[in-house]
Amino acid sequence: MTTRPPRLATFLVQLALPTTVTEALLGDLHQEYATMVARDGVRRAGRWYWREAFRATVSFSRFREPDAPGPVAQGVGANWNAFADVRYAIRSLIKRPGFTAIATITLALGIGATTAIFSAVNPILFEPLPYPHPDRVTMIWEQGGDGQKTNVGFATYADLNERNRTFTSMAAVGGWNPTLTERGAPELLTGQRVSQSYFRVLGVAPAIGRDFRTEEDVVGVARVVVLSNDFWRTRFNADSSIVGRTITLNGNSITVIGVMPAGFQNVLNPQAQIWTPLRYGPSLPYACRSCRHLRVVGRMREGIGPEAARRDLEAVQRAIVAEHPGDYSGPGILTIALKDDLTSGVRPALLAVLGAVALVLLVACANVINLLLGRGAQRRGEFAVRAALGAGRARLIRQVLTESIVLSLIGGVGGTLIAIVGTRLLFALSPANLPRHEAIQPSATLLLFSFGLTLVVGLVAGVIPALHATRTDLGDGIKLAGRRSAGGTRFTRGGLVVAEVALALILLTGCGLMLRSVTRLLAVSPGFKPDHLLTMQLQATSKRFTNDTVTRAYFDAALDAVRAVPGVESAGVTSQLPLSGDFDAYGIHTEVPLSTNPADDLSAFRYAVSPGYLESMGIALRRGRTLLPSDRLGAPSVAIVNASFGRKFFPGLDPMGKRFHVGDTTGPWYTVVGVVDDVKQGSLASPQADGVYLPESQWIFADGSMSLVVRTKGDPETMVDAVRNAVWSVDRDEPIVRVATMNQLLENTAAERRFVMLLFEGFAIVALVLAAAGIYGVLSSNVTDRLREIGVRSALGASRRNILGLVIREGLGLTLLGIAVGLAGAAAASQAIASLLFGLSRLDLMTYTGVAVVLLAVSGLACSLPAWRAARVDPAITLRAD
Amino acid sequence: MTIHLGDFEQLVLLALLRLDDEAYGVAVHAEIARRTGRRMSFGTVYATLTRLEEKGLITSRLGEPTAARGGRRKKYFSILVPGRRALERSLRSVKRMAQGIDVSWEAS
Repeated sequence: MTTRPPRLATFLVQLALPTTVTEALLGDLHQEYATMVARDGVRRAGRWYWREAFRATVSFSRFREPDAPGPVAQGVGANWNAFADVRYAIRSLIKRPGFTAIATITLALGIGATTAIFSAVNPILFEPLPYPHPDRVTMIWEQGGDGQKTNVGFATYADLNERNRTFTSMAAVGGWNPTLTERGAPELLTGQRVSQSYFRVLGVAPAIGRDFRTEEDVVGVARVVVLSNDFWRTRFNADSSIVGRTITLNGNSITVIGVMPAGFQNVLNPQAQIWTPLRYGPSLPYACRSCRHLRVVGRMREGIGPEAARRDLEAVQRAIVAEHPGDYSGPGILTIALKDDLTSGVRPALLAVLGAVALVLLVACANVINLLLGRGAQRRGEFAVRAALGAGRARLIRQVLTESIVLSLIGGVGGTLIAIVGTRLLFALSPANLPRHEAIQPSATLLLFSFGLTLVVGLVAGVIPALHATRTDLGDGIKLAGRRSAGGTRFTRGGLVVAEVALALILLTGCGLMLRSVTRLLAVSPGFKPDHLLTMQLQATSKRFTNDTVTRAYFDAALDAVRAVPGVESAGVTSQLPLSGDFDAYGIHTEVPLSTNPADDLSAFRYAVSPGYLESMGIALRRGRTLLPSDRLGAPSVAIVNASFGRKFFPGLDPMGKRFHVGDTTGPWYTVVGVVDDVKQGSLASPQADGVYLPESQWIFADGSMSLVVRTKGDPETMVDAVRNAVWSVDRDEPIVRVATMNQLLENTAAERRFVMLLFEGFAIVALVLAAAGIYGVLSSNVTDRLREIGVRSALGASRRNILGLVIREGLGLTLLGIAVGLAGAAAASQAIASLLFGLSRLDLMTYTGVAVVLLAVSGLACSLPAWRAARVDPAITLRAD
Repeated sequence: MTIHLGDFEQLVLLALLRLDDEAYGVAVHAEIARRTGRRMSFGTVYATLTRLEEKGLITSRLGEPTAARGGRRKKYFSILVPGRRALERSLRSVKRMAQGIDVSWEAS
């Protein structure tokens, strides 16, 4: 039998009605409900019950208005009628739509922006990595001669792994890009070659199948692979029978042994689709100590701190270096917590963004306090009347609190929407190389946090004027009831405006500095002509490439085919492409040594290029000649160096005709036959430029992947298909990747700064709008407060111009004070973004001046409206109003 | 101080007099509904009862909790002397105002 009436309705009644009534009323309703269920059924009875509950709350709120005078309106205790308070609050908010709109929009922007940014930054900076005991996972690097971290050679890794006493396991990790030739076009995969212990170091096991075994990570055994969950789903339709089957990679049949779980985040390469054991042994040529191309990750034993682990590895490394002194420039080993290692690059930018968000939140808070103070001052009369009629102080404060809560709730709903949309937007806009990019999602915790914060701000800001109003002499208050008061809050509000202007200025300065940095960065010449350039990477991966001759023949043939395409002006290939992320540097050993130990020799970028590469790129030749088809294997080895290479390795000398080894000191001597302009390799901001161009046919081995550079007559984007088909006409089975125009690559190098700039821009605009609203609010309520004074002044002969000046002087005075404070603050705060700036000082005069002018202009605009209103005051009307 | 009664307050007080010892929410509601044909919510009835009690015109006592009421107690109301006076005065004024006008007291 269901005679129990709807619980929610019962709860509503309990909430809204005085406790003296609820028991009897609910008892009656319950009794009637039972009768109705028997007569009309549960449904109708339920509807009736709801109707009754709702009407009961309405009758009681009408019956006991919160500002009803007399004994009823006293204590907080048993008679608290929350529903009526809320109704009253909503009514009074609706009465002032301007105030309500500005306050809720301010709150929504504050809550929304803060949460969106926190959500984006949180997984990168604060959240632990998604592995068991993530604090025990650490990266291990060798320390180069310059103190920087460098990759680890396999032999070093093997020794460290065997001799350490502080790690449960270690794994070496290298890149792997096999080509899958199954069903359709050859697909180049992103993968990793890893030690068999890799997944155990991270602490994640495959969801289907099994992990790698020790005997599978040995030279010469059959390769096996583990697939990522995503790859398994999209390419193999989540077929669970895949485990144990073979797939064709680089023309070989490889057995799949496992699939990783869906939630597995492979932070060392988030794009990885496939893993295979490293299968290195000390005997392999590329496993040598100076073949530093592996990354090493390890899991520390329980109870071992990072410091103990570092000391242990340093001791082991000292012993290793003592045994093989020729292979190391120093004994250094670096251990960096995996999380710190991943995020160290973006940390300064993100902290700067976080700081900017905090500033926006502060501005929003200041604005809300300001609005509520202003409103509180306006309502002093109202409070005084109510207090005189018997409303207790607690009663009045309760009313104000209810209003603040309602306001914050509306702002919170808006803020949640902004946060959700904002987080999506940030995810879409964030550079893909942002670490843990995939973990960005709206954070409920942080939404609650910022919501709570604004609630507290609202409550505090709401209570102060109520306390203020109820403390003052009732007589005074009532005398003022008809007019607005110009109380002591004016000073506080002026202070808040100064603070808002100052904070906005700090943000605007940050934004201005970033904007000018990006502009300058994009104005930097890359050292070549980026327009009309199409680039793509060609790879020689299939089994037929058994020796260098075959590989070189493939690239030569591909180049010839591309040159024959209509619309192609010229083309060339290079082993590394500027601004593409390629990084390939070799030690340069000059004939007249610059240092006693060859291991200490400096390095330079090595470009193995085809004839025509320099011409296609538009790299200007300064001296000598360019590379010719006659510079082939067997002919004298030649090199073309760039200007800074010449200055560094042949200081004070003419580089033409000088000789040097590249990499191996036993290799051929390369003779300088030409000098070209410097080219930006890493990024536009990178100062590192020393480079040497060698004929690829004269280099000691054939690179397996070469970047094709095509200068087109028209728009390079329209040429993609024609060029790709030309390459495939030579060999249909070889993958073509990284297709991009040179201008796209150029844009990418500024992506991180551009992203930070975009965020700053958003915040700065929000802060500017809020500050303007603050100035406007204060001045316009001041004008209202002083209508009588203004009336008297104009009656006594003050001109319109005098009155205008009166108001504008006050507004600009506050603004100027704020600008002064803000300039000092900006000079200090700009330190936080100093590392993101390019080509200008963090104290750049131009930026600071410009920002101050913008702020002054906006505040002038915000002043002009209230000033105009003041100037149009008719003295006859204001004075008669008394 | 004279207290003026509203129209519905009169009806509630009259219901209390009629119901005597049995005047609790459901009964008052039913009595008024039955005799006047008025539809009203329990909330209205209770709002009026609470107001009358706060004016010192009626008093209340709590009964025993019953299962039929979800374990809640009934609240019985009874009229006090000031309430009776206020009602009499109120009804007298109505009667005086109606005297000599063609209004039938014994309407259908």
